[in-house]
Amino acid sequence: MSASERNIWEKIADQLRSRSMWMLHYCTGCGAIELPPSMTSRFDMERFGMGPMATPRQADLFLITGYLSTKTLRRVIKTYEQMPDPKYVIGFGSCTLNGGIYFDSYATINRLDYYIPVDLYIAGCMPRPEAVIEAFNTLMEMIRKGEANGWKRYKENYEWYKKNQLRSLGEVDIHDEFHE
Amino acid sequence: MTSSMNNALEKVKNAIKNVKIIEIDEREAKIEVESENTLPVLSILKGEGYFHLSLLTAVDWMEKNEFELIYILYSWNDGGKFIVSTKIDREKAEFVTVMHMWPVARFYERELHEFFGIKFAGNNDMKPLFLENWDDIPPLRKDFDPLEYSKKKFPEREYQKDIIHEAKIIRGDING
Repeated sequence: MSASERNIWEKIADQLRSRSMWMLHYCTGCGAIELPPSMTSRFDMERFGMGPMATPRQADLFLITGYLSTKTLRRVIKTYEQMPDPKYVIGFGSCTLNGGIYFDSYATINRLDYYIPVDLYIAGCMPRPEAVIEAFNTLMEMIRKGEANGWKRYKENYEWYKKNQLRSLGEVDIHDEFHE
Repeated sequence: MTSSMNNALEKVKNAIKNVKIIEIDEREAKIEVESENTLPVLSILKGEGYFHLSLLTAVDWMEKNEFELIYILYSWNDGGKFIVSTKIDREKAEFVTVMHMWPVARFYERELHEFFGIKFAGNNDMKPLFLENWDDIPPLRKDFDPLEYSKKKFPEREYQKDIIHEAKIIRGDING
């Protein structure tokens, strides 16, 4: 079955999925500063059925908010792989698109969709809460139409993603002095 | 300079020859010393109330083939600040640790070892502090090219069209 084909149960499930999104509260960069105004009373994200979630194992939506260093990317990949299917990724800001002002840095990656599949990008540095809300609406529409299938692409092209991850990171496993 | 800074400087001048003092501001002065006299100067200043090591960092002077080590000492009594700087050889980048005076220096020295490749005798804890799986020369040395490294390790997005050119046409910089 190709990535875009769905049976009737999946179509029904996608209607329900798009109305209860739990986003992972893992703030990887400066874009996360736009999330509190999106959540609180003026823009009130919760009217869409969205809310923050603390752990990857209960989350549907993964936000990559801004620049990603190689050190963080290891944790991001590990977190992404812990999330249950179906899972969706939104890349915030120009850093995830093309590196932004960190395009020549020795420690930050230049484009996110080489390492994990991205369903939707929000351009800008930084996107305003209006753009964030617009992106969430678009993502919900994409889920209902069955277009947000990055999690399927990740399974189908796992070798390609793994190859890119290994080229930039050396190894994906995490070794640090505080956890060993 | 404040009187307590003058007193501290008098003590430094009496004890050690060949110090160069540059007054930067009312509460800030730079002391340039030979590398063998650095620790005595630091301990005199520490005894005079400048006991807070705000920063230990390095500057890479590649043309002169030397690293400049910079210790910033701060006094909580009058807000005075001394910048103690010393030059070490770039090829054989080694110095002595100040961990016995400031235990926090362990982490500054680890950072300098990681980003400049400077070794500190007496500090055996030289594990990488920030970088993981680093496979090139230390990244803050001036002969390291971050753009080349980024191109090699982190491929960029390939655009189909010349987007910058199009944006200039839209903005009116050039006529399309």
